[in-house]
Amino acid sequence: MKKPSISLVHVLIAKSIIETLFVSTLVVVYFLDVFPHFHGLGEVTPPAISGWAVNSRNPGERVEVHLFIDDKFVARTIASESWPEVVAGGWSTDEWHGFTIPVSAMESGYHEARVYAIHSSGRGARKTLQLLGHPFRFQVSQDGTLKALEPSSRQMRPAIPEKSIE
Amino acid sequence: MSENQNSKSSVSVVGDKGLALWEVVTVITSCIIAEWTLVPFAAGRGFVTAVPILLALGFMIFSHWYRGENLRVIGFRLDNLAAALRILLLPTFGTVIVILILEWSLGGPEFVVRPLSPKLLLLPFWALLQQYALQGFINRRLQTALGTGFKVTLLVGLLFGLLHLPNPLLTSLTLLGGLMWAAVFQRQPNLLAAGISHSLISLTLALAIPPNLINGLRVGLRYFN
Repeated sequence: MKKPSISLVHVLIAKSIIETLFVSTLVVVYFLDVFPHFHGLGEVTPPAISGWAVNSRNPGERVEVHLFIDDKFVARTIASESWPEVVAGGWSTDEWHGFTIPVSAMESGYHEARVYAIHSSGRGARKTLQLLGHPFRFQVSQDGTLKALEPSSRQMRPAIPEKSIE
Repeated sequence: MSENQNSKSSVSVVGDKGLALWEVVTVITSCIIAEWTLVPFAAGRGFVTAVPILLALGFMIFSHWYRGENLRVIGFRLDNLAAALRILLLPTFGTVIVILILEWSLGGPEFVVRPLSPKLLLLPFWALLQQYALQGFINRRLQTALGTGFKVTLLVGLLFGLLHLPNPLLTSLTLLGGLMWAAVFQRQPNLLAAGISHSLISLTLALAIPPNLINGLRVGLRYFN
């Protein structure tokens, strides 16, 4: 019987390399699919918490956002309200990425809020939460009004990305 | 140096026994990749998990070709089918009876036969494929590396059980089944007989044992779904 021109050792090494590359590629594709980068922020705009969210991989998508206060889930909504600064900042071509979540019946005192962008992948098999901007603290006074304790996130917004000039 | 000399020098560096063990490791690795690594990454894309299986299958076929092994040598033969079936008859029906007793003790006095799923039609092919990989390849390569005997039989059983983790009942049964089929294969190398025995036991398991106990015969990371 004619012997193959390559040795079994070479095939074993090649198979290992192919498997390593295959798994590595899959991990990278998985990461990009599951964790797309979300631009956005959340801030206190009495009597609500509002902000905007844009999926950088799919800027036309209306992103679902969840609000957590003091690590407890409070509400969810779809970021589909007008937020003209999104277009001005170059994050998306349309302005319909804003959200407003009214906050009521909160105990007076200091609280910390986090707004997460929700992303579904794997045909709904996986859901990931990504923090929009930073956690922000606010105070609820005796009469129930909200007061931001930090400067508005609008003032801390990252610089507008430069447009490429060809 | 000619290609043939190159090929020989590679084997002499590793040694034929080392090479045979490496072959076993690479096939087991492919199975572990398919069962444990790809499931979270491949949700909704079942074909992705087929890639390492096809690689392993392709490699095994190449290895047989390289070593000049034909179908008869691997175990696809009819001349010793009756002899192999005779040896397997008692342990196979013994296992079937043990499974039925297990169902009776777990499910109460009424014997409930689960509905026959269309997927079970593929069971004989799946069982034969598993027996081919386990006996026709792994058992044979382990015999090349370690010789015949209980050591190899035990190793085959342990490897077969390992590939069914973390399903506790399936791991235990495949460990015992692996020992049985490996021992019989060393005496009468016939994959068809092993495939028939495997199909009968798997079918009894799927029809008789409550699905929550075997978790739909799921293994690897899918077991937790």
